[in-house]
Amino acid sequence: MDDRRVRFETLALAHLDAAYNLARWLSRSPADADDIVQEAMLRAWRAFGNVRTETIKPWLLAIVRNCCRDHLGRRAQWQPLDDAQAQALPSDAPSPEDEAAWRAERARLDGMLGRLPAEFREVLVLREMEDMSYREIAEVTGAPIGTVMSRLARARTLLKEHWNSGGGHGLP
Amino acid sequence: MDCPRQVQTSAFIDGELDEHASREAERHIAGCADCQAFVAAAADVSERLRAPGVRVAAPAVLRSAVQRGLAVEPAAGGAGKRRRRWAPGGFVWGAFSGIGASAMAAGVALLLLAPPSAASFANAITDAHVHALMDGRVMQVVSTSHHTVKPWFAGRTPFSPPVADFAAQGFALAGGRVDTVQGERTAVIAYRHGAHEIDLYVWPAADRAQPAGGDRLGYHLLAWRSGDLAFAAVSDVAPDELKRFAGLVRSERE
Repeated sequence: MDDRRVRFETLALAHLDAAYNLARWLSRSPADADDIVQEAMLRAWRAFGNVRTETIKPWLLAIVRNCCRDHLGRRAQWQPLDDAQAQALPSDAPSPEDEAAWRAERARLDGMLGRLPAEFREVLVLREMEDMSYREIAEVTGAPIGTVMSRLARARTLLKEHWNSGGGHGLP
Repeated sequence: MDCPRQVQTSAFIDGELDEHASREAERHIAGCADCQAFVAAAADVSERLRAPGVRVAAPAVLRSAVQRGLAVEPAAGGAGKRRRRWAPGGFVWGAFSGIGASAMAAGVALLLLAPPSAASFANAITDAHVHALMDGRVMQVVSTSHHTVKPWFAGRTPFSPPVADFAAQGFALAGGRVDTVQGERTAVIAYRHGAHEIDLYVWPAADRAQPAGGDRLGYHLLAWRSGDLAFAAVSDVAPDELKRFAGLVRSERE
């Protein structure tokens, strides 16, 4: 058995959800997220050297993020969506009990986050969904910790403002 | 309307300030209406983003697509020069009956026949082992002496796991820890075999069903009972070596 490959697969696949979630929120498209994650995993495997196991997650997510930039940069989609685009976002399938309400809330959140510039969106996703420290977020985004700190503060204010202004899908 | 100290307030919420700065931020927030509103807004944002279903799990088809992609990819740059065929990844729970199609088929049959709790319990043990490796918290008590490791468990687990060193046979006692597996505190005795870690999970046999033995993601699991204790050995060592290790532990008990 090829130990390195087993180790990589075990470590990397443990963070597959995080990788997919980041790609999903940055690309805003399940299909793009699929492509991005597959590409990122191959890039990661090619670069897999002496990555310490405790730093594998930020390392891997940094690769995912770069793949997003490459993937979306080609299609000039790294910029925030306008409202019409934001509302046309496809929604991911599986849903809990109240599917309609979940979808509406989810679509609204998609719209809200989608309108944030990517720099703000990514820090929110990494902090709130991945529970990463500022240091880890800095590692993923390549920004200094001070920048992570101020972007996060700004992102929170912006998202809350979007929400209060009743954007997205006009739910109460 | 934005207070110039909003960034510090934001970092305070995230627990990213040192003790001194934290106290200062707390004092500031107490007297600043802007920052109080910010804290409430941030809490609201956080609640929405952490709501169930917002973080999207990778679809199962993506997981297998990634595994297939890796399978045809040559070894990573540098160390691994040899190009090897990669065994089918994913959740193949099989007996230690070798490799090939028949073993695969046996594995699938086992998966279908074994009670689901046995498979998920085994998954949970393997996951606990892998996470301990990933987090670098393989041991809470580091010692090659059973006189140190065994008493360490007293008061940490409601039973006393057998601790023995098999260094002479190639399995050196390395330490111990307590893992929570499916909500139950489980004693873990850590061994080293060359570059491999072997974790021996021990719990009272009466507490729960036997986990299913098998392979998962390159890790092997062997489970057995001895007296009123249940054991599961998990590692990425070769299955034969794990069997030998299990044999040593069993013979020690008898």
